[in-house]
Amino acid sequence: MMKKRMMAAMLAGAMVLSMTACGNSGNTGNTGSSDNAAGSTATKEEAPAADAGQDAPAAEPAASAGPVELVVTTTFAGEDTNAQNYKDAVKDWEAKTGNSIVDTSATADETFKARVATDFETGSEPDVLFFFNGADSNSFIEAGKVVPIDEIRAEYPDYASNMNDDLIPASLVDGKRYAVPANGIWEAMFVNMEVLEAAGVAKPGADYTMDQFKADCEKIKAAGYAPIAAALGNIPHYWWEFAIFNNQSPATHLEIPENAGDEIGQTWVAGMNDIKELYELGYFPENTLSATDDETFAMFTEGKAAFLLDGSWKVGGIVGACQSDPNDPATLDVEKLDKFDVTYVPGKGDRKATDLIGGLTSGYFITRKAWDDPEKRAAAVDFVQHMTSDELVPKFAQHGASALKNAPDVDPAQFNILQVKAMDMMAGATSLTGVMQDIFSGDCRVSTFDGMPEIVTGRVAAEDAVAEGLEIYHNQ
Amino acid sequence: MGANIYRNKKPALVFLFPAFLFMVVLLYYPFFKNIINSFMQLKQLGAAATEFNTPWYTNYEEMLHDPHVWTSVKNTIIMMLVTLVGQVGIAIVLALMVDNISRGKQFFRTVFFFPIVISATALGLMFNLIFLYDKGMVNQFLEALGKQNLTDWKAEGIALITMMAPVMWQYVGFYFVILVTGLNNISDELYEAARIDGATTLQRVRYISIPLLHNVICTCSVLAVTGALKVFDLPWVMFPKGMPLKTTFLTGTYMYYQTMETKNVDYGAALAVLIVVLGVVLAKVVNAIFKEKDY
Repeated sequence: MMKKRMMAAMLAGAMVLSMTACGNSGNTGNTGSSDNAAGSTATKEEAPAADAGQDAPAAEPAASAGPVELVVTTTFAGEDTNAQNYKDAVKDWEAKTGNSIVDTSATADETFKARVATDFETGSEPDVLFFFNGADSNSFIEAGKVVPIDEIRAEYPDYASNMNDDLIPASLVDGKRYAVPANGIWEAMFVNMEVLEAAGVAKPGADYTMDQFKADCEKIKAAGYAPIAAALGNIPHYWWEFAIFNNQSPATHLEIPENAGDEIGQTWVAGMNDIKELYELGYFPENTLSATDDETFAMFTEGKAAFLLDGSWKVGGIVGACQSDPNDPATLDVEKLDKFDVTYVPGKGDRKATDLIGGLTSGYFITRKAWDDPEKRAAAVDFVQHMTSDELVPKFAQHGASALKNAPDVDPAQFNILQVKAMDMMAGATSLTGVMQDIFSGDCRVSTFDGMPEIVTGRVAAEDAVAEGLEIYHNQ
Repeated sequence: MGANIYRNKKPALVFLFPAFLFMVVLLYYPFFKNIINSFMQLKQLGAAATEFNTPWYTNYEEMLHDPHVWTSVKNTIIMMLVTLVGQVGIAIVLALMVDNISRGKQFFRTVFFFPIVISATALGLMFNLIFLYDKGMVNQFLEALGKQNLTDWKAEGIALITMMAPVMWQYVGFYFVILVTGLNNISDELYEAARIDGATTLQRVRYISIPLLHNVICTCSVLAVTGALKVFDLPWVMFPKGMPLKTTFLTGTYMYYQTMETKNVDYGAALAVLIVVLGVVLAKVVNAIFKEKDY
């Protein structure tokens, strides 16, 4: 009997232990990684030692003692123009240092932002992240979970020393600089020239106005095409930004109204009503309220829609759509790509068409967790310095802006035809104003972003939607 | 001495404890914590609750005035009816037909069951392509038949049908297999006796198969109704954020939308409580309606 009891107790104990072990294996993926890292340290020590001889000059003060594994998350994924550049740059850094990167990058959308915020809240943040430096980063800056550039420079004086500090955006929380920018962004209007030609419409120029735009849309619609490729039920962001901007000026665009009734608030309401007017005129695709952004983008690239408001990152998406293999640049159909162009968003009132939206809206943050880890600190600093070096930044910035002190000359021959057109367009810009939705961020945008279908169909008054969003913003 | 081992229940308790512990940690603790969270202010997912809402029942009051809550409850009830009629109903018909064929039973079992093993997300993506506005399979087919204009299968008036059809299609095979197994358990002697008495095929179905399947049908109905409350992935992939015009929300997708998209986490917690209450009430109602019989 005693034996049986003992046996039962042992079996129960074994069961508990095995379940605990199962739990551990999931929960401590990190531990496992550490062990692996330790293992790899031992095995890789020989390889870096060999490299160390070759790369001795590059051993720099930021080099870490042994191979380290950094968790990095960025927005260089999916259709982002720089997704491949990022992969190449990471590969180079890994080869140079012997360290490794666990990449958790994802497409920059609201889900990604929520994931990053949750990671910080739950203490599972990455070591380095390339993320928005506007209001989206407020929560983890307030919590002291990322390290200011000045604090890093106290130990690593060369950190971001190749950047013009005046161009590095400061945090909205405390005015300190945290994120080292790599590449700037702009938002503008892409055009499908094939559709424009079929409808007898000329390419919009630097003095393009909203009235001219409406007249052109009418012609395009009459020719049987959708004038504007936009999914208002999914991604109304760009129209939202420019419609409001069109009722303001570059000087006032970044001011958040107190309420929907004040002077600036009324410009927001007017902006929403401008989108409503375009919807009622039938300039958006028939399925604009139920389509996804991918669907309307496909309409644009397949020659069924004429205009597309989007950002500099979309250049890569259009180029990809002109390749028979999206992962192989050698398969680019140059003739097809030449049918796309990029120009200015039609202006109105005090906003000229050449007043653009854009700037250095993202950058590399080093988290406090990595900074406080003696094994990771140097590697994290070295990684950011590598990704923001004079050699790599121009690759990422391409036709956009950068914060480099000494931006090297770029050879236009290395760019495709759409990138060259983008550079020409940027050369004519008269101002670059920051992205207001980066400040007016989070759930305050829901009533006018997710609520855009209700606004354009008249189920919710623009004034009410704006008022609801502003109330949430001011209560945050 | 030897018989005592069967009377001593303590070893069984020791074996039950780990599973009980897992249930407490992973189900009951989060469940009660969620109820508390529904009364608190939660700024972000994963953030600690700061203080109670004022008044503490704010979220429940807001629920009463939130038109999307009523839309999602209405859609969920429609989904239940669709699963009852569309899934269990079609499964009964298919099971009876397959039971009456002499060859290929195994083939049909496999074919009808197959959609169950495919991930709902993958199915959602597939049906997105089928119902795509431009160059979708259905619209291309209609175009080939001479239809001039494209149909937006995700437009307001028709979106619910487009959403529910794939859900219905996916689970028919599940109930079909349960019902076929139930039919196999009915003794052949009963059918033989009925045949000798001159009963037609329809009469054998009406007076033997259906009555003897009653308990299996009840089980399927309870599973279908409670399952409808949990449907999430396929509708969310096809109609994210309740598109179009927030008309396709189900209770599950609306709770997810509030929690993950609008970051109204405590309101999402309150919606989760509503889902549980709805589930318990409906399960009781269904159990009362589809009461099993003893034969």
